[in-house]
Amino acid sequence: MSEKRIAEHPILGEYQKGELVHFTFDGKDVTGFEGESIAAALKAAGVMVHRYTAKEHKPRGIFCAIGRCTDCVMIVNGEPNVRTCITPLVEGMVVETQYGVETKEAWEASHNEKT
Amino acid sequence: MKRHELIVIGAGPAGLSAAIEAKKSGMDVIVFDENSRPGGQLFKQIHKFFGSKEHHAKERGFKIGESLLAEAEELGVKVELNATVMGIYENKEVTVKMNGEVDHFKADKIIIATGAAENMIPFKGWNIPGVIGAGAAQAMMNLQGVKPGSKILMVGSGNVGLVVSFQLLQAGCEVAAVIDAAPRVGGYGVHAAKVARTGVPFYLSHTVIEAKGTDHVSGAVIAEVDSHFQPIPGTEKELDVDTICIAVGLSPMSQLASNAKCDMALIPQKGGNVALLSEYGETNIKGIYCAGDVAGIEEASSAMIQGRSVASHVCYSLGYITEEEFNTKYDSYQEALGKLRMGMFAPANKGRNDFTVTDEGYPISKNLLAKGYMTEEELENFPAYNYKKAGVHPIIECTQNIPCNPCQDACPKKCIKVGENITMLPQIDEEQGCIGCGLCVASCSGQAIFLMDETSDPDGVLISFPYEFLPLPEVGDKGTALSRSGAPVCEAVITDVKKTKVMDKTAVVTMRVPHEFKNSARFYKPV
Repeated sequence: MSEKRIAEHPILGEYQKGELVHFTFDGKDVTGFEGESIAAALKAAGVMVHRYTAKEHKPRGIFCAIGRCTDCVMIVNGEPNVRTCITPLVEGMVVETQYGVETKEAWEASHNEKT
Repeated sequence: MKRHELIVIGAGPAGLSAAIEAKKSGMDVIVFDENSRPGGQLFKQIHKFFGSKEHHAKERGFKIGESLLAEAEELGVKVELNATVMGIYENKEVTVKMNGEVDHFKADKIIIATGAAENMIPFKGWNIPGVIGAGAAQAMMNLQGVKPGSKILMVGSGNVGLVVSFQLLQAGCEVAAVIDAAPRVGGYGVHAAKVARTGVPFYLSHTVIEAKGTDHVSGAVIAEVDSHFQPIPGTEKELDVDTICIAVGLSPMSQLASNAKCDMALIPQKGGNVALLSEYGETNIKGIYCAGDVAGIEEASSAMIQGRSVASHVCYSLGYITEEEFNTKYDSYQEALGKLRMGMFAPANKGRNDFTVTDEGYPISKNLLAKGYMTEEELENFPAYNYKKAGVHPIIECTQNIPCNPCQDACPKKCIKVGENITMLPQIDEEQGCIGCGLCVASCSGQAIFLMDETSDPDGVLISFPYEFLPLPEVGDKGTALSRSGAPVCEAVITDVKKTKVMDKTAVVTMRVPHEFKNSARFYKPV
């Protein structure tokens, strides 16, 4: 288990977790627990950057973790702007870093066109 | 358009309590919440609450949330989740976004219980990954079981900053420092003291000026501020942290009240822009009410009572209860609220910094406000700290008038007295005999009660203290006794560890230290 996960908590004991599932993050195979937030699984896997802003290409990650701030949005199963902090993880999900509102490839393609 | 007698917006402590109260009277009520789970922020709260029994004192927040949900379920309260209320219009028409579609509802009465949002402060790099809200830290560690970071700077010393700092320590994270731009610790002294004794330094009159790093936080620059809260050049300090946690207050999420065209006002004591309310919680628009943090920032304990109180007025005005029943309910809820709203941390006293003595006339600790812990000299002003007798007895380091009395109920021998006014400091009744059960130690939500026994062990003095960390020490373990500031004091040997169901995860650990350290050793670090 990732050292970023709390193995046993003095008050909460052991966390109730779903099945261990596989998903991909930018094409890499990552594991997490079914039903936990996508953001939690990524955090446990050491991922900090969820997206880059459209205009200034600044990195953003988890900020509020309750679905309000939209800093943690990513492309999930092809759909952009998914709030990963409140979206439950499901086996086989395809999670991608979001560039503006696109995938890296799409962003780079449109970025290269402009320049 | 669907009709309901009462629409409650928000399924947090205030909203759920209001819905429960209304449903009990037989009213047709529906609750909308934009989240996928009910309970608001209660399920992130793993500390023991303050107040008295009627306020669920000494119960942990998530346990209170569980009972609230069970009560709502049992009554059949209808809660629509993932349902975002978008607006409140004329004649109490409400638009709700559910499953990607907008639905229209109409109600006779509306209770807005949307809670609060976290405040933020901008600084260089404040939006790079690794700068998070305190609520985010709680969500990650307490709901998801993932550490928010390994080394954390806490910005803000209010109760949220202090409570979350302690929870970070419990989750196995390191807290590099607690800082606050104010010159005084903002939250309860007891919350600060339990963080300080683990060795976390407090920097008051300090602010964060930069988050270092490009793709994630690799450090934090803090600096001292002058009396106008401006950073003083040359006082910068860089802390080695990977996470900066922001806990600089909450603001009422009152947009819906404002959108409904209720009369609003910016009231600093209430934390921001709020609807002006009658004594029953009704806005100037008849039939629209506010309850909980949206009406003014307080604690979940008061939000739950407010919810019930406001709903009782709704029940009365729709004819579900008689005037007499309403008056009885209203008076009892106001009495319960009044008890929580007394003392130096009362909402009416928000922002005040001119307290020099407690209600009892004891001088308030300056060191507690400046560094998060008390000096021995300051503690000597308090009788419940100075109490001495042969054999085991409590030492109480509770020195601010906060609304709390579980210690009084916990003692089977009735050694500890708080009295009717629950913000008074606990006193030790010398006529009663302490049996050393440790229940007062475990019951104290502020972890401010210790047991001392100077006479029973020939090899030293026995000090018992609350312990909520893992691994739990075992009898015979040797380690280091720490002072109130977390500084190593001497070697300590663990002589007893009590952990019973009624103590609810707060272990009472006893260590033996040499006599000369009896007034300084207050915590323990395993070797």
